[in-house]
Amino acid sequence: MPTIVDIAVSNDNFKTLVAAVSAANLVDALKSPGPFTVFAPTDEAFAKLPTGTITTLLQNIPQLARILTFHVVSGRYKKEDLTNINSLISLEGSPINIDLSDGFEVKNATVIMADIEADNGIIHVIDNVILMG
Amino acid sequence: MTQLLTKLPPSTHEFADIIHRLEAGGSMLPDTPENLMQIIGIYKAYAVPMDFYWRDLLYIAERVFLEPLPFFKYFLPQEYLDLQNHYAGDNADLRIWRGTGSTHPELLEFMKKGETFSAPKLFHHLFHDRINMEFAEACMSAMYWHGRDMGMGKFDAYLDSDEYKTNADRAIRAYFKENPVMLGLYKAFPEMFLEQVRQLSYYSNLGLFWEVMAPVFFEMSDIYDEGGFKGVPDAMNFLVNGIFAIAGRPIYHHVYIDGECYEIIPKSKGFTWLYEAALPYVEAVFYRTSPFRGTKSYNAQAKQVPEEQKDFHFGILYADVFPVGTAGIPPTLLMDDMLHFLPPYLIEYYQKHCRGEDDILIQLGITFQRSMYNVTSAVIQALRTALLYPLDDQNPKHLLKNRQFFEQQMDRFKRPEARLRDIQKPEYR
Repeated sequence: MPTIVDIAVSNDNFKTLVAAVSAANLVDALKSPGPFTVFAPTDEAFAKLPTGTITTLLQNIPQLARILTFHVVSGRYKKEDLTNINSLISLEGSPINIDLSDGFEVKNATVIMADIEADNGIIHVIDNVILMG
Repeated sequence: MTQLLTKLPPSTHEFADIIHRLEAGGSMLPDTPENLMQIIGIYKAYAVPMDFYWRDLLYIAERVFLEPLPFFKYFLPQEYLDLQNHYAGDNADLRIWRGTGSTHPELLEFMKKGETFSAPKLFHHLFHDRINMEFAEACMSAMYWHGRDMGMGKFDAYLDSDEYKTNADRAIRAYFKENPVMLGLYKAFPEMFLEQVRQLSYYSNLGLFWEVMAPVFFEMSDIYDEGGFKGVPDAMNFLVNGIFAIAGRPIYHHVYIDGECYEIIPKSKGFTWLYEAALPYVEAVFYRTSPFRGTKSYNAQAKQVPEEQKDFHFGILYADVFPVGTAGIPPTLLMDDMLHFLPPYLIEYYQKHCRGEDDILIQLGITFQRSMYNVTSAVIQALRTALLYPLDDQNPKHLLKNRQFFEQQMDRFKRPEARLRDIQKPEYR
């Protein structure tokens, strides 16, 4: 089965995410056995960020890596595993709120495609870049 | 706006009108041409001394460091006057202001002459005819003192880590390597030295924070002069976009000793401008700070000083500008600094009101208060954008969460000292 990185690279909706993960030197980590649960923002999600946000982050790799690791959780969590869970702790260290009461929401993002299975984890596609806080 | 109100019933909050204005993309400050003129004028007057503050804060954090008798810490060396702002000038990482990356020309002019005449630096320093760097240090102290308790970002917690202590220890030993007396004192009282370094890390934090804000305010002033802002919400949105653009800027503390860089807080920690500097700054300085020693007395037994730090409310958003307008008090020091760089249209405006130039420091202090309500509005809208939902979201549940967030923020201004009610009225000056 392909890894999380393989799936992201082969999908045209994750060009910004793939570029960011590679700039932040996180490719190897996300190819490792994990397992991980990744909340993957689409290109459209990144495009919603005001001008300059991505430029500044690409100039500062540790800071970019921190935002990206906020989208990753250790463990394999499918949608059904999250039914009774209110929040998960991200690799960044801050909590990510999960709400399944009305659809599938992760903080202020909506999951637009859930449960994409990879060899080393699960991908949930989200419509917003999520931020700590 | 109409669409939003049809989706949610009106708020029943004491500040419902302001909440509805925020929901329509507005600011806590009413959108009038007079307010716009005041806040932009004061942003410009604030940005010039801020250009000194950030340079000197970094100079103290990076070079003066643990100098036991830092008599000359406010004497900026040429290297720091020439230091290129990362967000202005031709070589900027991200050009926010189209102007120079070096020290602002009006600041250089003032440093030469002060209010009096051209004289050596020492003269201007001793006669206090200079930029009031004490104000910047008061803001730093507020961040440092409240930092423990706020739990915001990861900066303050890092100052207690073993990694930080090791980094600080290396720098302290290198700094005093030829000073056995200080090394001996360090051996006897290591915590005291460490605490000084922690404070210096906050000097760096605030310097890096203001390095961004100065060009933001200069650019806003230039845009206004060109007729570019249509109203207060435009000015607020410029700030919101600025906050996002720079959110990922690294916050760090480097010290230079004998040409070698000691990374006390390395950039690789991933600390960011938004989480480790801007948000703690707003909380510690705009909301909390501490009672100022001056003519105004506070009665602790009458609970005029809160028992818990989180309830402190002595920042600009709560300040009664008149009684604190006394010489030597931090807000007055800033007012005095801003007085030197007011744009002509603001001077003309103050001359027409109250006692004209006689109470100009109070008038500009109140303008500053209005302008900081607008900055706080930008922070509130930025947080809403980052953590909640768009104002035109079609899901009523999302709009309700936005509403609850705005109401929680407004709850902080229910206490009688808050000036939110006052800034709604143009005659408050």
